Amino acid sequence: MSTSYTLEITVISGENIRKNRKPVKKDAFVVIRTDSHKFYTTKMDAGGGSYPAWNEKVAVDMPMHARFITVEVQCKTSGGSKTVGTARVPLSDFVGGYVPQNYLHFLSYRLRDCNGERNGIINISVRAKVPEYASCSRAEIGVPLALGETYSGGVVTGVPIWCAYPAKF
Amino acid sequence: MGNCFSDELGGRAAVGGTSASHNNPTNAPNDAVDHFLHSRGYHGLFSQIELSYSASDLRDRDLLSKSDPLLVAYAKGRDGMLEELGRTEVVLNSLNPTWITKHNITHQFEIVQTLVFRVYDVDTQFHNVEVKMLKLDEQQFLGEATGVLSEIVTKSNRSLTLDLVYREESSGSVRLRNHGKLTVHAEECINSKTTTEMDPFLVISKVVENGIPIPVCKTEVMKNELKPTWKPVYLNIQQVGSKDSPLVIECFNFNSNGKHDLIGKVQKSLADLEKLHSSEQGESLFLPTPVGHNYHNKVLKSQLFVEKYYESIQHTFLDYLAGGCALNFMAAIDFTASNGNPRLPDSLHYIDPSGRPNAYQRAIIEVGEVLQFYDADKRFPAWGFGARPIDGPVSHCFNLNGSSHHCEVEGIQGIMMAYTSALLNVSLAGPTLFGPVIGNAALIASQSLANGGRKYFVLLIITDGVVTDLQETKDALVKASDLPLSILIVGVGGADFKEMEILDADKGERLESSTGRVASRDIVQFVPLRDVQGGQISVVQALLAELPTQFLTYMRTRDIQPNP
Repeated sequence: MSTSYTLEITVISGENIRKNRKPVKKDAFVVIRTDSHKFYTTKMDAGGGSYPAWNEKVAVDMPMHARFITVEVQCKTSGGSKTVGTARVPLSDFVGGYVPQNYLHFLSYRLRDCNGERNGIINISVRAKVPEYASCSRAEIGVPLALGETYSGGVVTGVPIWCAYPAKF
Repeated sequence: MGNCFSDELGGRAAVGGTSASHNNPTNAPNDAVDHFLHSRGYHGLFSQIELSYSASDLRDRDLLSKSDPLLVAYAKGRDGMLEELGRTEVVLNSLNPTWITKHNITHQFEIVQTLVFRVYDVDTQFHNVEVKMLKLDEQQFLGEATGVLSEIVTKSNRSLTLDLVYREESSGSVRLRNHGKLTVHAEECINSKTTTEMDPFLVISKVVENGIPIPVCKTEVMKNELKPTWKPVYLNIQQVGSKDSPLVIECFNFNSNGKHDLIGKVQKSLADLEKLHSSEQGESLFLPTPVGHNYHNKVLKSQLFVEKYYESIQHTFLDYLAGGCALNFMAAIDFTASNGNPRLPDSLHYIDPSGRPNAYQRAIIEVGEVLQFYDADKRFPAWGFGARPIDGPVSHCFNLNGSSHHCEVEGIQGIMMAYTSALLNVSLAGPTLFGPVIGNAALIASQSLANGGRKYFVLLIITDGVVTDLQETKDALVKASDLPLSILIVGVGGADFKEMEILDADKGERLESSTGRVASRDIVQFVPLRDVQGGQISVVQALLAELPTQFLTYMRTRDIQPNP
């Protein structure tokens, strides 16, 4: 069994990205980190200002045990670069559930700066590169389909699809 | 000819009416998707439909020869009034006519567009009269057929055969009789676009049979420029006929008095222009110069280059439907106690013995009758929420048909029946939670994906009030935004629907979940039923206007193509 797999992540664009509460003027780029020490960097966006567009595809090697990827929007400064916003993306947003493993997910996340304050939005798409032997769909997970009985009492704790992650990870 | 262009800032205005701008009808606040689509040259929705007709086995009303049929097409308004769309020519002496005249009609997804076709036998004495001047009550009526536009366009061959009916009065009784069949064929006018980029101002015209060019589009005016490079112009194949149809490209010197001087012209088809582009060769302009009584084409030194040329196919909503992509309709009904006791007439759930539909029934019928045309199997999952089924605790998603195993019902009628029987079998309770219903709809949508289905799901939620689980609902919607699912919410009754407006992200921020994930596209459309009572726009129109765009956003971002 291999210890990693590949995610094809397209960093599409950012919206309303700010640095020190002011709109970013230019040269924003994105760093994607898995929980190992590996990271991936996009090119700088020259013309988009606070609405940068990258449309850049990166193949990210994911360690099997990873639960999150981190997406950072950074900005070139005179002395190097500064992280202006970060989003933590749980893998459960696109791994598991019923959809085919190679499904193309379009995902957007709120960025937060180092003080935890809201910044803009990052748009990405993610597709898992599934080895041939594992690509059969796991449609038959033992989740009860009966719609009536699952919910009891006034509190609803969730819906099967999103808590039915397979034991793979 | 040059007189038609007197605007100095010509821009990319097209005479033929093709807009090159990104025409987003919904203002969906999703820069990711918008940008993505824009960068790929996708524009707004077009569904101009051209109808053509043929008939067979018409009644024969002439004694010596066969009938001379003429067809009149009408659109039936919501008030039942007929509006004439147009008339065909008279086909002489035929009981199986194929008419040449075609009628254009705009297909609006969100409306049931009922069409009525009447066929008349035009008497010989009227044959010299122009068809539009004919008084139809002086003609022999051969029959009438009624069809719905969406039925025609969703057929795989886009042809629908209808029975021609006429009323026969005999001995005081009226009988309807079938006589003959009418086949209506729908052709979508616009589905692919071609772009060319070239260089003072150009007018591109197509050449039609009588030889007079019809302007299709023109470029902007380049001021004081001997080597101009114009912005790209967009032509669609339907406008020009075909790739091989001859086009006249005229280069004018702009004159502010509107009398532009012709510098020169070329005659080329799109295919020729494509070759010019790939060979990077210039084409010399020529100028017709009078020589005696004839014209002589003087070849000029000026040349025309094609700098960019590309073709792109824009699949429309209809392409997807005809290409085997089905819409699947689901319904969820609010059974919370705030609706009022169903036995009392002031309840929103009151079943009027007179048969007058209550607000819930109206919403089911109005939305359902539109959507069912696009749903092939007409089996609809239907749920209720916020009630206590017999002897059970409150359920926030129970099967409307009372079954513990399957949630599907047959047709709109099935929803109506399940709804009325559920009213007798559950006791209204609370609170109002949307999360479980949206979760179940998302589950069905993702299971369909897992099975390789090409389906798009539409969940109709009819509710009287404020959601208790606003954040949980947002979480469910954010997750569902990645699935082939749209959610239509109809608000009934007089409650405050502010929160629904938040869910319908049109007006403000994109929906954000408690974990910081943001909806990748708008999938919710909310309309309060009271807004439209007695108003101009029907609730259905308001509800469904966004659906084709939501659908196309899903398909196009994923590069999903319709089957040919």
